[in-house]
Amino acid sequence: MLADSNKVFHRKKILVVFCVCTCICILLFGRLVYLMVWRADHYSRLATDLHERERSIKAARGRILDRTGTVLADNKTVCTVSVIHSQIEDPDAVIRMLTKELELSEEYVRGRVEKYTSIERIRSNVDKAVGDRIREYDLAGVKVDEDYKRYYPYGDLASKVLGFTGGDNQGIIGLEVVYDTYLEGKAGTILTVTDAKGIEIESAGERRIEPVSGLDLCISMDMNIQSYATQLALQACASKEADGVSILVMNPQNGEIYAMVSVPEFDLNDPYALPEGTDENISAEEKQNILNGIWRNACINDTYEPGSTFKIITAAAGLETGSVTKASTFSCPGYIVVDDRKIRCARVGGHGSQDFVHATMNSCNPAFITLGLRIGLDNYYQCFEKFGLKTKTGIDLPGEAGTIMHKKENMGNVELATVSFGQSFQITPIQLLTTVSSIINGGNRITPHFGMQTMDSEGNVVDSFNYPVATGIVSEETSATMREILEMVVSEGGGINGRVEGFRVGGKTATSQTLPRGSGKYISSFIGFAPADDPQVIAIAIINNPKGTYYGGLIAAPVVRQLFENILPYLGIMGYNQ
Amino acid sequence: MARQRAERRKKKTQAEYFFDYSLLLIVLFLLGFGLVMIYSASSYTAAQMFKGDAAHYLKRQLTAVILGLVAMIIVANVPYHFWERFALFAYIVAAGLIPLVKTPLGVKSHGATRWIEIPGTGFNIQPAEVAKLCMILFLAVLVCRMGKGIRTTKGFILMVLIPMPIVAEVYILTKNLSSAIIILGISVLMVFVASPDYKKFVIMGLLGVALVALVIYLVVSGSDIFAFRGNRIRSWLDPESDPTDTGFQTLQGLYAIGSGGIWGKGLGQSMQKLSFLPEAQNDMIFSIICEELGLFGAVAIIVMFVMLLWRMMVIANNAPDLFGAMLVVGVMGHIAIQAILNIAVVTNSIPNTGISLPFISYGGSSVIFLLIEIGLVLSVARRIQLKEL
Repeated sequence: MLADSNKVFHRKKILVVFCVCTCICILLFGRLVYLMVWRADHYSRLATDLHERERSIKAARGRILDRTGTVLADNKTVCTVSVIHSQIEDPDAVIRMLTKELELSEEYVRGRVEKYTSIERIRSNVDKAVGDRIREYDLAGVKVDEDYKRYYPYGDLASKVLGFTGGDNQGIIGLEVVYDTYLEGKAGTILTVTDAKGIEIESAGERRIEPVSGLDLCISMDMNIQSYATQLALQACASKEADGVSILVMNPQNGEIYAMVSVPEFDLNDPYALPEGTDENISAEEKQNILNGIWRNACINDTYEPGSTFKIITAAAGLETGSVTKASTFSCPGYIVVDDRKIRCARVGGHGSQDFVHATMNSCNPAFITLGLRIGLDNYYQCFEKFGLKTKTGIDLPGEAGTIMHKKENMGNVELATVSFGQSFQITPIQLLTTVSSIINGGNRITPHFGMQTMDSEGNVVDSFNYPVATGIVSEETSATMREILEMVVSEGGGINGRVEGFRVGGKTATSQTLPRGSGKYISSFIGFAPADDPQVIAIAIINNPKGTYYGGLIAAPVVRQLFENILPYLGIMGYNQ
Repeated sequence: MARQRAERRKKKTQAEYFFDYSLLLIVLFLLGFGLVMIYSASSYTAAQMFKGDAAHYLKRQLTAVILGLVAMIIVANVPYHFWERFALFAYIVAAGLIPLVKTPLGVKSHGATRWIEIPGTGFNIQPAEVAKLCMILFLAVLVCRMGKGIRTTKGFILMVLIPMPIVAEVYILTKNLSSAIIILGISVLMVFVASPDYKKFVIMGLLGVALVALVIYLVVSGSDIFAFRGNRIRSWLDPESDPTDTGFQTLQGLYAIGSGGIWGKGLGQSMQKLSFLPEAQNDMIFSIICEELGLFGAVAIIVMFVMLLWRMMVIANNAPDLFGAMLVVGVMGHIAIQAILNIAVVTNSIPNTGISLPFISYGGSSVIFLLIEIGLVLSVARRIQLKEL
């Protein structure tokens, strides 16, 4: 019998076993308390993350409005079609229907439908009508979600400025990229509880986090000016069989850009369309290169040799450094020898003796070379930097090109001479326009821009954008002299074709031969502003590789003249007769 | 008078012997609770896997439980000394059944061959479960036969070495570390109770702890001697660092336990059983209990097990003879080790190894053999004379 006294140790041992087991159970209980009380929140959260599947609800993207309130970029309702693998009952019917309705290859649809994922997007940006039709089939496992698609009411108007968005509503180029954070809004989510295979647990219901619409962006562009400038650019492009025409219209006092045209433009509602006649079998990379070319904004992405319009900068530098006055005289024999180089004047016979005002009106190269050399490399380079020509303008568009300029230590007299009349270096049109604006507006280097403010859907202003202004680029006196000289250029000099009846217009023409020299390709341009005594609007027209007459004064100046004839009264700028 | 005395004696005989209803009640409670939890944990996945038969696992388990209860009643009514003569036979059966998994009778499931098919019935049994029962019987008989011999060092070493072939078979042939540990644990416990010595066991215990510590140290310090087990140990130390692989099941179990909180989500409300937690109705059923019934449900189960052990301790202490006591100690050790290891695995207190929770986890062989063991315990209990209490 176990109860015998000599077997008492058995009882004791059994008790020890029991006690040890009980102690371990108490330790396990402690462990459970730790897990289920202290760590409960942690594991609950992780578990909830695991159980909930997100479906995002696109936020309505903010619109883009011009300064008159016209909507330039809007949204329209489209549908996203997706399939939920685990809910499909009849895969073949689903594949047949989607292939037919979405006009996709059966192979593609089959791949997507049979892919083992919780939710697979078949196609986004489907027309609402098509989405409604798909919904009517009422096939299990097919989901049609409505969302928004970017829509541009004016098609190709200001295409390179506005830019467009991709399938996920993100900006691809232009203002859509720069102001993406304001425009995109915040996507909402539908959280549904699912099992490990992604099947929704219907009894668990769903949680919704509502999307927040993006903010509307108000830009300084004026749709009317932009349209008219586009027309003019297209006309000039067609009549001169040019490669491209760019027109920029800006307020020189504050940098608000009224119009930025760079024809040919492209259709914002179909930005991926290739030009007609493009070989269909090109590689994706080639295709992208072509598209990048189409989307390129010549006003900011490309640099060119400004030519004679740059004499405005040389003149301002001369006045500012005291190297020249209006009365200074220059003589032009038709050429000038700098070191070992003979540089010709545009006028073969030369302009003879002339004062500085007439040298500018004549756009005389030898006179400006003389001036440049007189200013000297140190001062000239200093002015070049002070005017902000070596830095980017800071325009609120992506991909602004920088200035391509000689290093100072590499510049000799020849380089200084060529820079003085606008050759041997490259800047962007917007850079030239901005710098000239600073010279004529009293010496304030403004930042060219489009974005003015953002508004919520009720029209309340949310953000107002301010842009840096560097003052004292040139003195007020220099600025006034420059306005006066440039007005003379238009009223009596080389820019006479830019003259607008009843208005005081200042300006400067340019005709520059593109590299390589001797190719017979030119860039003709004219930069003009009005009223000359108190500039309210400045415009530049650049015609790239015109056929036939290529002088800026003859083909670019009339473009700006026509523009001014229409927009000056429109902007409410009074002529001197009124 | 004589008739009266005879009547009195008859009455006395009836009352003199003891039937442990508390033990039976606890076991029945655990079984019933287990069936409910198996249905709760498995119905969702079963409905998907077996064409809408949500009760698939429940039905199979219920069959096993009924078979087990019948076996238990039979065993409980057979005087336990009847089994004494089968001791050597049991050892041979245990040693002989395990290698059958390598024959065509072996059934592969969950990536391991641990079952053998009973020809013609379509039922599978786990030889490791048989081995546990056989080992208990064999060692109980051995302890009695050795008598005082167990106090000698020779006797002690013999007792420790005899189960080793079975342990090695289970570990090597079926790659079932947990069953090997349980059989080893049962043997050590029985020897511990049978021998009056403490010192040897304390030394053995310390050596065991030192060995485990060394293994963990080696794994943590980056040695790859224990490639497969090493991963398990690493994912034990930090399951969240490796949620896709070895730590997956552990982490899913912790999600379930942690999201249960104090009161639980309510019966049937577990999220983790929706295919997130592998083996939800099996080794990991305790985490579903925690998720649905909360800390209180979990504690209730632990308390039930402690009570079960307590009842068995009482029976062992009052057993009419050493053989009976040793049988009960073996069963007690079996259930204690298995329950503790299971809860420890599920709460990630020790590295993950597949151990089911006695009476509750899904598993036919396990529940049948456990009930046979309970039958043995009840049979021992019936031989207790009430005056002994």
